[in-house]
Amino acid sequence: AATATAALRLRAAFLSPPPPPAAAAASAAAASRLLPRRPTASILLLPLRRLCSVPPHAVGDAGTGSSSQPSPVMDAQFESFRAQLDESSTLRDRIRAVVSEVESASRVASAALLLVHQPVPLADVLGKAKAQVEVIKGLYSRLAEILKECPGQYYRYHGDWRSETQAVVSMLAFMHWLETGGLLMHAEAQEKLGLSSGEFGLDVEDYLTGLCFMSNDFPRYVVNRVTAGDYDCPRKVLSFLTDLHASFRMLNLRNDFLRKKFDGMKYDLRRVEEVYYDVKIRGLVPGESKQEAA
Amino acid sequence: MATDAAATAHSASAGCSAMKAEFAKHAEYLNTLNDKRERLVKASRDLTMNSKKAIFQVHRISKNNKEEVLSKAENDLTVVVNQYIGKLVKELQGTDFWKLRRAYTFGVQEYVEAATFCRFCKTGTLLSLAEINDSLLELGDKSVEPLQINVLDYVLGVADLSGELMRLAIGRISDGEVEYAKNICAFVRDIYRELTLVVPLMDDNSEMKKKMETMLQSVVKIENACFSVHVRGSEYIPLLGSSADPDYSFFGASDFDQ
Repeated sequence: AATATAALRLRAAFLSPPPPPAAAAASAAAASRLLPRRPTASILLLPLRRLCSVPPHAVGDAGTGSSSQPSPVMDAQFESFRAQLDESSTLRDRIRAVVSEVESASRVASAALLLVHQPVPLADVLGKAKAQVEVIKGLYSRLAEILKECPGQYYRYHGDWRSETQAVVSMLAFMHWLETGGLLMHAEAQEKLGLSSGEFGLDVEDYLTGLCFMSNDFPRYVVNRVTAGDYDCPRKVLSFLTDLHASFRMLNLRNDFLRKKFDGMKYDLRRVEEVYYDVKIRGLVPGESKQEAA
Repeated sequence: MATDAAATAHSASAGCSAMKAEFAKHAEYLNTLNDKRERLVKASRDLTMNSKKAIFQVHRISKNNKEEVLSKAENDLTVVVNQYIGKLVKELQGTDFWKLRRAYTFGVQEYVEAATFCRFCKTGTLLSLAEINDSLLELGDKSVEPLQINVLDYVLGVADLSGELMRLAIGRISDGEVEYAKNICAFVRDIYRELTLVVPLMDDNSEMKKKMETMLQSVVKIENACFSVHVRGSEYIPLLGSSADPDYSFFGASDFDQ
């Protein structure tokens, strides 16, 4: 038992990390007491040789085993992945180039629409914006052409044009309301952008998010219309927004981006209600006297 | 004046009902989509859980029971394919796989990890994406486009494989199978090298970048373990726990005075 303990202690000395110099000297002395007198080399070299997982003469060749050679099959597979992903990356760059043009044209159209807040004839404002809508329509047809190259992958790249499309829908819906006083339907929005319901269509959630963005324009619009003397505008807008909000409440929304945007719509509605209240309480609504209002 | 008001009211109510009809359609579409998404998330969770079971089964491997453990793991994977991936396939048939990818990607990644892990333990090679997809062709309706795992999910699954291989390597070293651990080390290095070239090209590579950091940590752990064995001879650790009389001759101490 004593022999075994001694051997284990010695083995622990070999396997543990190198001790500090003082401790090293002490452990060497202990080892010399434990072992019978022998040539030093046989004590030290033999264990070290045995402790190596590869015999010393084989160390030079250790790296050349078959296990360390990369598999040609694996190489080929990942090479093909790189080619596929490279192709996808190139396609994405082309999509982004078109989308940046969409964003630019949309910005010009939105800037033109901002003139509704000033005393400029509506026809002139809409004329400038409509010219840009035609440009945007052409860009979407280019986008559809690019997407034809990878059928069935619309939603793989959808994130690249989603926010721009939502902004475009918002602008189109606002223009449509200015012209007709009604809601731009999904099919009409698709038609205005020259999209089909097939391979490259307008995603329903993008359309709905665009409508939520559109509601953000109304509070400022009614304030400026009232300032310009159009006292009936708040009533029209309030009626429309109330219907739109009620329609949105029909949807079972998840806790996602659309839900967040819809939650913001009630603040727009409240602001329009306040403007309408201010106008009505002062008897400024056409066809009503102060007494009727009271 | 009254007629004007009536006309306005009439057009407003017509507009309102048209709006309601439009939104009723959208409500139906969103309900269908959300229900499908929920079912996919559940199927994906089942797939994740059962793939994990197959991985745990493979980890029970040792020198003596290799064939038995791997055949059981393969059976587990067959069940996973037929039942749980089958469920995904049924849900996704005829729809756009990319639209709902976020709902099922984690389950698919876990399955890729389990299948590649099992294959490596059996043959020492990497199960290819083509082989995985071939095995899924049988599941779907022949008339509809079958579910095919995409490159991104496969690569993400293979990246996770390194963690399991690291655990396996450490386990094999403690069982004295040092050469096996070295093979694992070389294999994981190869995968890491290959993926290094793929990551920059991936669609949304933020998730993959995190996985690559973790993968490098796994590679380093395996390398350090192999280094420790090589330098310190940890292959002799099993002697400490053995009841048989140990042989201390390797200490140069075989002829102690009894």
